Amino acid sequence: MFKFLANMKISRKLVAVFLATSVIAMGVNLFIYLNLNTAMDKINQVFSSNISLNELSENLNKIHSGLTGYLETKNTDDLQLYYSSTQTVTLMIKELNSNVTDNNVKLTERDIRNMIKSYIDTADEAIQAKRGRNIDEYTNKYNECSRIKDYLNTYIYSVNNEQFMTNSENYRALTGSLRYTELMSMLVFAAASLMNILLIIIMTNTITRPLTRLSSKAVEISSGNPENVEPLQVISDDEVGKVTRAFNEMLASIKDYIARIRTQLITESEMKEKNLLMETHLKDAQLKYLQSQINPHFLFNTLNAGAQLAMMEGADRTVEYIRNMADFFRYNVKKTSETVMLSEEIELVDSYIYILNVRFAGEINFVKEIDESLLDVNVPSMIIQPLVENSIKYGIKDIEPGQGKITLSVFREGDNACIRVSDNGIGTDEEIIEKIMNNEKGPSETRGVGITNVMARLDLYYNSKEVFEIKSRKNEGTQVTIKIPIPMEARNV
Amino acid sequence: MRKIKVKVSRKRIAVWILAGIVLVLFCATVAGLIYYRKMIKDLGVVQNEEFREFSRIYAYIAEDPDSKLTKKIYKEISEYAVENDCYVELTGQNLSTSYSKADRLNMAISSKVDGIILEGDDSKETKDLIDKADALGIPVVTVLSDCLGSSRKSFVALDNIRLGTEYGEKLMQIASEDPYGKHINCLILIDSDEKNYDDVILTAIKEEVNGKNVDTVSQVVDISTPFTAQEGVAGILDNYGEMPDVIVCLNDRTSESVYEYIVERNMVGQITVLGYFDSDTIIKAIVRGSVKVTFATDAKFVAEQCVKALNEYIDTGFVSEYFQSNYILIDRNNVSNYMPEDKDV
Repeated sequence: MFKFLANMKISRKLVAVFLATSVIAMGVNLFIYLNLNTAMDKINQVFSSNISLNELSENLNKIHSGLTGYLETKNTDDLQLYYSSTQTVTLMIKELNSNVTDNNVKLTERDIRNMIKSYIDTADEAIQAKRGRNIDEYTNKYNECSRIKDYLNTYIYSVNNEQFMTNSENYRALTGSLRYTELMSMLVFAAASLMNILLIIIMTNTITRPLTRLSSKAVEISSGNPENVEPLQVISDDEVGKVTRAFNEMLASIKDYIARIRTQLITESEMKEKNLLMETHLKDAQLKYLQSQINPHFLFNTLNAGAQLAMMEGADRTVEYIRNMADFFRYNVKKTSETVMLSEEIELVDSYIYILNVRFAGEINFVKEIDESLLDVNVPSMIIQPLVENSIKYGIKDIEPGQGKITLSVFREGDNACIRVSDNGIGTDEEIIEKIMNNEKGPSETRGVGITNVMARLDLYYNSKEVFEIKSRKNEGTQVTIKIPIPMEARNV
Repeated sequence: MRKIKVKVSRKRIAVWILAGIVLVLFCATVAGLIYYRKMIKDLGVVQNEEFREFSRIYAYIAEDPDSKLTKKIYKEISEYAVENDCYVELTGQNLSTSYSKADRLNMAISSKVDGIILEGDDSKETKDLIDKADALGIPVVTVLSDCLGSSRKSFVALDNIRLGTEYGEKLMQIASEDPYGKHINCLILIDSDEKNYDDVILTAIKEEVNGKNVDTVSQVVDISTPFTAQEGVAGILDNYGEMPDVIVCLNDRTSESVYEYIVERNMVGQITVLGYFDSDTIIKAIVRGSVKVTFATDAKFVAEQCVKALNEYIDTGFVSEYFQSNYILIDRNNVSNYMPEDKDV
C-alpha cells in the first residue's frame, strides 16, 4: 500500500489526498445528515397520532353535519357529504386498534372504532327511516347518533389528551436524546476533521520530504564539496524519485569528473617535476664542470695548441696525451645535453683512463669486456665516466700502486644492455651504499660528476630505480651496474 | 551524516506516530458513527410500549365509580378476568367528562363489549338499556343490586337480608349491654341512589329489632356526587338534636364520614358506629374503637362470580340466574386479619 502510494505521481497523490479527505468529510456529513433526518422524521411522527385523531374528529363532525342536514331538509349535498365523510372515516378507523388490550390508549382506540361503527350503523338506519318518512324512527336514531357522537368526542378528546401527554413525554425524551446525538455528531465530526488534517499533514510530508532532502543535498553540493556528499536514497518512483535518481547520477558524474581531473593534474605535475629535476641535474653537472674546469673551451683550444706544438717538436706521446685530454674535454663540451651512443661513452672512458694513466704513470689497470653489438645503443651522456672516476677515487686509490684494476663490461642481459664498472679496491660500506641508493648522499660530498647525479638522471630518464645497482664487498672491490633497456629495433641485432 | 540519519529516523517515527493517531481517529470515527446510528435508532423505542391482548372485553358499570367498594370490586374483577384471558374496562373512567350510569351503559353497548357487569337498579331506563344490550347480543350480569324484570342473565348478590339481620343482632347486643335496660336510639343512614339493597337491609334490621328496646330512625344521605356524602352526614347529624346512641352506615363513604364527624366532635365513646366496607380508615377506626363493627363484602368472591357468569353464558348460552355471597363481619377480635400491609394503623 505504502509502496503503491510512494510510486504514484505527485499530482495523483495530491488528488488522492484531497479526494480521500473530502470523501471522508462528505461521508461523515451525509451519514449524520441522513440519521438526523431519520431523527426529525421520528420527532414529526410523535404527534401523528394526535393529528390522526383530530382528523377523525373533524370527519365525524362532517358526517354528523351531513346527517343532520339530510334529516332536516333531505339535501343531496348533505347526503353526499355524509357518504364521503363516512367513507373517509371508515378508512381512518382501520388504522385504529381493534384488539382487546390492557393498554388504556389502545383500548380506547378499540372503543372509538366500535362506537364509530355503531354510529354509522345507527345513522344509516336513520337515513333509511328518513327515506321511509318515519319521523319518530329517524328522530330516535338521530338522538342516538348525537349521543354516540357526544361519547365519541369525549373519547377522542380524552385519548387525544392522554396521547398528547405520552407524546409530549416522548417528544421531550426525543429532543433530549437529540441533544446527545448532536453532541455525538459534533464529536464524530471533530474526530473526522482531525483525522483529515493529520492525513493531509502525512501525505504532504510524504510528498515534500524527498524534495526537502533533495534541496539540502543540492545546498551541500553547491557549498563546494561534492566528493563528501553521499547519494540520496530513492524512496519513491514518482517525479521526485526520478529527479533524485538523476541527481544521484549527476553527483556520481561530478565525482568521477573531479577524480579524473585530479589524476590528470597529478600526472602532469609529476611530469613537470621530472623534467624540472632532469634539467636541474644536468645544469648542476654542467655547473660543476664549469666550476671545476673554469673554461673548457678555452682549455680545449689551448690543449689543441699544445698538441700542435708537441707534434712540431716530435713529441708523439705528448701529442697523444694532449689529444686525449682534448677529446675528453670536447666530449664534455659537446655532449652534455643529449643522448649519446654507448661507444662514445666508452671512448670518453678510454680518454679518461689514458689521461689518468699518464698522470699516475700507468698505475690503473683498465680492462674492457665489450659486446660490440651494443655499441650503438643510445644512453644518457656522462654516465660511465663518473662511475670510473668514483672507482678510482674511492676504490683503488688506497691500494698498492699497480694493483688497482678497473673493469668495464658491456653485455646483454635479457632485453637490457648492462654496463658494469667494477674494481678490486677497498670496497664501499653498506651504509654508504644504502645512503647512495636512498639518495641521501648529496652530490656535494663527491668530487666531480658524482654517482648520485648519474643515478638521478638515469632514474628520471628511464623512470625506474631498477636501472642502477651497487654491490660491494669489504677489500674485494665495488661493482656498479647500469641496466639500460634495449630499444625494440636494436634487440635482435 | 549520522545526524542526518538520526533526523530522518526521527521524522519517520513522527510520521508513524501520526499514522497511528490517524488510525485511532479513524476507529473512533467509525465507532462514533455506529454509536450515533444506534442512538438514532433507539430514539423512538420509548413509544413501543408492551401490552397484552385478551380474547374478551367486559364493561363494569357501577353506581358510584369513585367509591372504594367499586374500586375494590373492580380490582378483584380485573385480576380474575386477566387470569381468564379477559379484560374488564371500568367504562366512563379516564374520560374528560363524568357520565351517568345510563350513559356509561350506552357507551359500553356502543363500543360493542362482549359482556357487561352492572350494578343494577329498578329504573326503567336501566331495564331498557339492559334489554337493548341483550338485543345486540351483549349479556348483562348484575352485581350487588339487581334490575328486576330486565333481561339480565345473572345476578351476583350479597345476602343483604342476612346483613340486615346481623346489624339488628348487633343493635340488640348493644342494647342488652345497657345496665339500665333502656331503649337505645339508632340512626340508620341509607343512600340516596336507586339501588335497591339498602331497602332490603333496612327492612331486615327493622324486622330483627322489632319489639326490642331499639328505636330505629333512617335518614337518606345524598351520595349523588363524591363530595355530598360527607356534607350530607354532617347536615343530618348537626340537625339531629339529641345524638343517637348507635349509627348504622350502609355505605363506605357514609361510614368514613360518620367516623370523621364523631372524632371531630369528640364524641368517640358516646356514639357507637356500625360501619360498612373494610376501607383502611374504617379498619383503623375499629382498631381505635371509634367504630364497633363493620361488614365487608367478599369482593374476590363477588368478582369471580361476575366473570364466571359472563364467561359461562358466552361459552354455553346458559348461566345460573343467581349467585350469592355473604358479608364478612370485622370487629376488634378479628381486625388484625384485615389490616392493610405496610400501613401504620
